[in-house]
Amino acid sequence: MSAWSTAARYARLSWFLGGVGLHRLTAYRLDFLLGAGAFLVRVGVQTAVVGLVFRQVPVVGGWSYHEVVFLLGFSLLPRGLDHLFTDQLWELSRKLVQRGEFYRHLVRPVSPLFSLLSERFLHPDGFGELIVGAALVGWSGSHLDLDLTATQWALAPLFVLCGALIHSAVKLLFASLSFWTVTSLPAMYAANQVSEFTSYPLDIYHPTLRALLTWVLPFAFTSYVPCTYLLTGDTGLVVWLPVVTAGAVALALAVWRRGLTIHDTTGS
Amino acid sequence: MIVAHELVKEFKIPERRPGLAGSLATLFTRRHRVVRAVDGVSFEIPAGSRTAYIGANGAGKSTTIKMLTGITTPTAGYCRVRGIEPYRHRQRNARSIGVVFGQRSQLWWDLSVPDSFRILRRIYDIPDPVYRRNLALYRDLLDIDALGTTPVRQLSLGQRMRAEIAASLLHDPAVVFWDEPTIGLDMVLKEAVRELVNHAHRELGTTVVLTSHDIADIAAICDSALVVDRGRVVHQGSIQDLLRSADRRAVLFDHRDPIAPDAACAIVEQGLPGVRATVVDGGRVHVDYPATEFTSRRVLAFLLERFDLADCYAPEPDLEDVLRQIYGQRRDAALREVDAA
Amino acid sequence: MKPPTMRAVRAYLPFATGGLQSLLQYRSMFVITGMTAAAGAAVTVFLWRAVYADTPADGGPGGFTLTGITTYLLVAQVLQVLHTNRVDDEVAAEVYRGDVAVMLVRPVSYPLVRFFASLPVVAANAVLVAVPVLVLFALLVPLTVPRPGDVALFALSTVFSVLIAFCVNLLTGMTGFVTTNTWGVRMVKQSVVAFFAGQLVPIALMPQPLAALARWLPFRGMVDGPLTLLLGRYDGAAGALQVLVQQVGWVLGLGAVCAVLWRAALGRLEVLGG
Repeated sequence: MSAWSTAARYARLSWFLGGVGLHRLTAYRLDFLLGAGAFLVRVGVQTAVVGLVFRQVPVVGGWSYHEVVFLLGFSLLPRGLDHLFTDQLWELSRKLVQRGEFYRHLVRPVSPLFSLLSERFLHPDGFGELIVGAALVGWSGSHLDLDLTATQWALAPLFVLCGALIHSAVKLLFASLSFWTVTSLPAMYAANQVSEFTSYPLDIYHPTLRALLTWVLPFAFTSYVPCTYLLTGDTGLVVWLPVVTAGAVALALAVWRRGLTIHDTTGS
Repeated sequence: MIVAHELVKEFKIPERRPGLAGSLATLFTRRHRVVRAVDGVSFEIPAGSRTAYIGANGAGKSTTIKMLTGITTPTAGYCRVRGIEPYRHRQRNARSIGVVFGQRSQLWWDLSVPDSFRILRRIYDIPDPVYRRNLALYRDLLDIDALGTTPVRQLSLGQRMRAEIAASLLHDPAVVFWDEPTIGLDMVLKEAVRELVNHAHRELGTTVVLTSHDIADIAAICDSALVVDRGRVVHQGSIQDLLRSADRRAVLFDHRDPIAPDAACAIVEQGLPGVRATVVDGGRVHVDYPATEFTSRRVLAFLLERFDLADCYAPEPDLEDVLRQIYGQRRDAALREVDAA
Repeated sequence: MKPPTMRAVRAYLPFATGGLQSLLQYRSMFVITGMTAAAGAAVTVFLWRAVYADTPADGGPGGFTLTGITTYLLVAQVLQVLHTNRVDDEVAAEVYRGDVAVMLVRPVSYPLVRFFASLPVVAANAVLVAVPVLVLFALLVPLTVPRPGDVALFALSTVFSVLIAFCVNLLTGMTGFVTTNTWGVRMVKQSVVAFFAGQLVPIALMPQPLAALARWLPFRGMVDGPLTLLLGRYDGAAGALQVLVQQVGWVLGLGAVCAVLWRAALGRLEVLGG
């Protein structure tokens, strides 16, 4: 099978699984609405906190109120996109290796990673994040009189895509650790907590934390870096985005593959 | 069809230490102990057979199935399914096999059975006529429609097993591997599964490989048995032949003679030296005799002559006893070899 | 303690020790609670420190100094750790699995069982999570040293805050009787409680109507109340007493609500046949 026909096959399968996911969404409408509602409350509280912060001062770390809301909203977009497709990695980290359930993904005629992710395609919570994020970005963008150049418009979707890939890569890497440690939930949870820092401007954090978020767990590239570029046109770090994304994905896939061979030799 | 040659699988079990620090340490240390799960197994399973793969506990049955399905790679030796080594061509092999792993579901946990089947149809590229034909078959035999839109995780074990077995046959695989399917729970289900296997076997020549602890499941599904002990095939043939190799047989009878049950036992043991007779419930007598010294004809003739028989039957030898006997003999032989050396 | 009370406590003590045993098997839980607390504290502390970066020494908005607001937010997070008693998820899970029906045949009260089982969780969280987080931040940022009297008041107030948190979590878990998606309910509870308890924003910094609402809700007694005492932000003995009385009032009120709703839920359970 050539690379193209393989890619086409996976694209067809993804399309189909997306349909199944949407179908399920309608079947569990109430659960979906409750989840989305809960999410709305959470982001609502987050936005209220930002609002109360800016009642005291006009500028925080060099960012105005609407800029911070823009960042907060934008950070939800890659997170939501990632959430749509890779939520099943939590299951891998939590119990699949521990309970010996992983190898059902090794008896299907598709790649094990695709098989794993296929179990939950189009996670409803992801839609909640995307909708709320887009609304916040739109609202704050109009208040900022944001006038994006054609290049910025063209790059914005790519920023979201790269951000989602970085989120997915970090999740995949920490979930794959479970092949060695049986369960890696604490580690994955810790990484996820670190990603929460990206809802606010990095300028307010300690320089060490800022460096960690930029170069170790590169969540800065999921929201802070692209937002800085979109809001100010500053291209300082954004040129690194493709490199960081590619590096994170390559590293995560390498760990995942190594994990599969470990799974083979430990048997679990 | 299915060939295993000197198949060896060793696992390296890391020495896990407790706690977070311990689990982090296992990431970086190389301390582990080696466990040999499969120890030089060789066998051949012909195409179109329905074979029970039997071994003593811990004989590496599940690990062997994992190698045959491409999930793990042998440490040494090789196996081939339809000419390909499964672990080298995992996805290609996966297309032509169907798998059920006992308690562990192959289905999409959060989806309904029909949705799972729809996804399997895409993943295995099942042609429309095949898919429709199989669905119709399952509708008749397994009452799959009754499972409705319930997510798999909410199904009962019996319902789920039905779906698992159907899913393993959905793409008309050339070989199905059923590793400890828990079908022993339900007589109706067992009958349906037997019917399904017979159908696939008749129409498509499907090869079935089953491992099970449940003798009734084995008897219901399989026509031949492959018994492996310490890597060697110690029996390959029909299940009947295997049972016939039992070295002890039994007869149970009721009689109308006016004597105490113990006295009846004494008569049997005196008349046939070397035979054990015991009273089971309701005064029925259980006669246990070595098949090497007595023919069943001789035992029955004796009983007919001495007792006024009301009822009499000879149960099938217990497969587990037969297996225990086979393993025991080999162990004795091994010990003798050690003594001689 | 009177003999009958002693007997009652002895009946429930096994649930406390049992809770501790099952807890120690879940070491990862402490790591998770600790990470959440540390990250949560870091976000709010850094955010508000940016606001108070240039305030004069005699205090900025709401009368907080830079070290004062830092102490407030950090201790708020520590209190939140003490409120993480797992009662909400465990009650919801037991209701969902139908295990609650089993508890009905035992000669003990289920809410009390849950209360005693939550005590070791709170104690373990205090020792294994709260103290390390507090020490970690004390090394990184300067904190206010409170007066000894205020510390005593704070300790008493913290006990009441833990009781309020138990009631709130029990009520949250009991929503399992009416919905299966308790995950959503718990997330809403977490957000609403964190906000109105004053964990993310001190109530003194909220605009008037919002602050009035927050002062009248029971959640204030979980974080803002104890911290008012710790930082000496009260008006004489009467002011301190008012905080404590309000907390006790809410403990009794919420306890009564729990008891009534629990009875109602049991009636429903018996009708449905569990």
